[in-house]
Amino acid sequence: MTELIQFVIDVLALGGAYALMALGLVIVYGILKLVNFAYGELIMVAGYTLFLMDGTGLPWLVMAAVAVLMSIFFGVATDYVAFRPVRAKSVTAVLITSFAFSTILQNAALLFISPRARNIPLPDVFSTTVTIGGAVTPLRNLLTIAATIVMLTLFTWLMRRSILGIAMRAAATNFTMARMLGVPANLIISSAFAISGLLAGVVSLFWLGRIGSVVPGIGLEPLLVAFIATVIGGMRSVPGAVLGGFLLALIDTSLNHILPQDLLKFRDAFTFSFVILILLWKPDGLIKGPASGQRT
Amino acid sequence: MSFLMNRHTLTVASLCGLLLMLVFISYAVDVRVFTRIATTLCINVVMVVGLQSFMGNTGILSFAHIGFMGVGAYTSALLTIPAQMRGMALPDLYPFMEGLSASPILAIFLGGIVAAVIAAAVSYPLMRLSDAAAVITSFALLVVLHTVMLHWSEVTNGPRTLFGLPAITSLPLTAIVAAGAIAVALMFKESRLGILARATRDDETAARAMGINTPRVRWLAFILSALLAGIGGGLWGHFVGSFSPKAFYLKETFVILGMLVIGGPGTITGAVLGVFIVTAAFESLRTLEVVLNSAQIFSGQVVGVTEIVLAFSMIAVLALRPGGLVPTREIGDAIVGLIRKRKG
Amino acid sequence: MIEITNLDVRYGAIRAIKDVSLNVQQGELVTVLGANGAGKSTLMLTIAGALKAAGGKITFDGRDVTAATPEKMVRYGIAMVPETRDVFPDLTVVENLRLGAYLHRSDKAGVMADMEKVKDLFPRLREREIQAAGTLSGGEQQMLVIARALMSRPKVLLLDEPSLGLAPTVVDQIFEMIRELKATGITILLVEQNATKALQVADRAYVMQLGEVVVQGSAEEIAGSSDLSALYLGG
Ligand SMILES: Nc1ncnc2c1ncn2[C@@H]1O[C@H](COP(=O)(O)OP(=O)(O)O)[C@@H](O)[C@H]1O
Ligand SMILES: [Mg+2]
Repeated sequence: MTELIQFVIDVLALGGAYALMALGLVIVYGILKLVNFAYGELIMVAGYTLFLMDGTGLPWLVMAAVAVLMSIFFGVATDYVAFRPVRAKSVTAVLITSFAFSTILQNAALLFISPRARNIPLPDVFSTTVTIGGAVTPLRNLLTIAATIVMLTLFTWLMRRSILGIAMRAAATNFTMARMLGVPANLIISSAFAISGLLAGVVSLFWLGRIGSVVPGIGLEPLLVAFIATVIGGMRSVPGAVLGGFLLALIDTSLNHILPQDLLKFRDAFTFSFVILILLWKPDGLIKGPASGQRT
Repeated sequence: MSFLMNRHTLTVASLCGLLLMLVFISYAVDVRVFTRIATTLCINVVMVVGLQSFMGNTGILSFAHIGFMGVGAYTSALLTIPAQMRGMALPDLYPFMEGLSASPILAIFLGGIVAAVIAAAVSYPLMRLSDAAAVITSFALLVVLHTVMLHWSEVTNGPRTLFGLPAITSLPLTAIVAAGAIAVALMFKESRLGILARATRDDETAARAMGINTPRVRWLAFILSALLAGIGGGLWGHFVGSFSPKAFYLKETFVILGMLVIGGPGTITGAVLGVFIVTAAFESLRTLEVVLNSAQIFSGQVVGVTEIVLAFSMIAVLALRPGGLVPTREIGDAIVGLIRKRKG
Repeated sequence: MIEITNLDVRYGAIRAIKDVSLNVQQGELVTVLGANGAGKSTLMLTIAGALKAAGGKITFDGRDVTAATPEKMVRYGIAMVPETRDVFPDLTVVENLRLGAYLHRSDKAGVMADMEKVKDLFPRLREREIQAAGTLSGGEQQMLVIARALMSRPKVLLLDEPSLGLAPTVVDQIFEMIRELKATGITILLVEQNATKALQVADRAYVMQLGEVVVQGSAEEIAGSSDLSALYLGG
């Protein structure tokens, strides 16, 4: 029983972070039908922001807010540097330019900060553990779950109730028609990148909180997670991204329990093989997105 | 005469002429650094032309390419590390593999075959996917290959450096292989299969309506591309003599991709030209970094400038000239066109 | 109001509109007739800013709008009802309407009043308020798209084949509604293949063939001309 509780908390906490990460990728993909390869670097940006503010004496929550803001800023910057110049051209072109942007950010961190890991300031609550039904778990995990619930609620509210959210959903199926109703294309696209940055920024706090430090290559794993979760869930579906995130966490956590020690190091290989199997069965992912329009 | 006038022959001849010139200059200059750079350049030609075979013809970006380079390098290593060094280089090697051995040239070739076989075995289902999903899964495939190289210590010595490969790779050898790769890639591009592949690239729906088996066409292109990557990996392994799995990951992917994108993925000429240009730019920038570092103008080490410049160049090329420097016409086509024009 | 001079529009190498000149005056209902592929939809989309002109000029209320973006054109007062009947299928009827009023989003009370007005005009939409637009019938979708266009409080309504593919009784309803709209004073540019019906409501008409205007005149003149059907069917 204790073990089960532990397992459930692990899956929910990991899955929450994965789901939010995937959501940030899907929101941009849904509107532009383009993949942002520089998405993982937003975690890095938030991490270095925290590192640079270490010792300023600011309350941690303020530092966290600044880190999230920087993530949003760089999310929107991705659009201007990597997407706009080539948007009309091709899926491949944007993948390459966003890959290039990711390289620029990583190498800038190498050049101006350091190739070595840097510790980031963390609040005490992150290192506290609590006991639930006999299971000992870091409080951080529970905070991740809470943050996931808050963010998903906020996201749902935005997409269902606000005119901006409705416009974004409309633009995802038919961008030109949305523009012919007066919805400015640039506003929608920038908002998508900003939301994507917000989600990555929030995830970064927990992601980095688990590791305690930041290195230039830190974005790779979250990026992969987002990629895989969205491919499993369905590239264009918001519920799909969330489902994909939790499913991926379930697979990862289960493999942690099932795999013998000497195979555990191959976990990622197993996970991805599993993903390929899912794709064989459902090439469009588990949940088909909304009726799709043209790429814009 | 008509044989000489054939535009494909002209393309291969011109590009090989470029390589030959490189070899001659390198012998004339006779500076070790230059020969090293020239050799690496030829290996990169094999890699980039290999990537062109898949990406140029199918229009799908593949991240897995560099992973197959690793497969080739490790295969070749397994076959050629001398028996007396095996205990040290590969302490965990499976006993049944201890007897494996082949001459380095054969081993390099076998490395390509193994890469091609693995590519054939794992990639067929992925070829049904398009656009974003195809790229993402190829990325996942790279991660899988990397994870396996990183942790299968029985065969790869794990994350540690694997050493003991006989350093047999010389500039002439790489130049010959590069020339062969150029010829094969061009033959593939102009073959029925290559033309079908480009039909699927230009209009997938129409291609399907015409009865083209898109996954199969892509699959064959992918296998060829992996074959060349594997051979490139073996060549490189026998050039540097020792390496670890991190040599086959994103940083290297970025460089190879940058060469292809800047040169022009649509043509072999573009691919080769891209390698030359990026190599030249890279070496100059790296020299600059070294100079800056030894002059100690900055407090820390200057690293990463080269990558940043390459990245901005890629974005600029894609924005201003989306097809790369040589988007559609091979050099042979251009020459034939010129001659026709002069004849009137 | 709308003044088009020597307009050219291309799709790559294809010239879909060749040297077209056309005008629409305040309060008029002008119809553009022509066979399939004549370039009518291309013309409408170009006016709405969704396609770029390759040559020529479009002015609206005296202002040069040739290169204006679609979002600008709505602001100027042009609302488009495309032939493809582009409802947002995953959005509810009300959400579709709310989006139509995007420009007036800060005027909440006004938007609510407009919403009531269009629902009175199309009672069917009121019944289906919270249904996803993709699940409506063809006729209902057409009503929704027109209602949504009205929500932007346009000066000019561009209607591209509103009767396309609808049952005869629904077509009658739609034309009845067009007549009512005209009575409110709104300017309308109507593209139709149903020439007889269109000429009954229109003041003036243009006939297009292979991207060019071949005949123009008052609705009566065009309706009376004997070679209309030859031109029209021969397109
Ligand atoms: N998206 C497009 N791409 C290429 N050609 C098009 C496109 N849309 C329309 N056309 C061509 O332009 C011409 C005019 O089409 P259209 O404006 O739709 O005519 P209509 O609305 O009168 O039926 C036709 O020859 C059609 O084939
Ligand atoms: Mg039409």
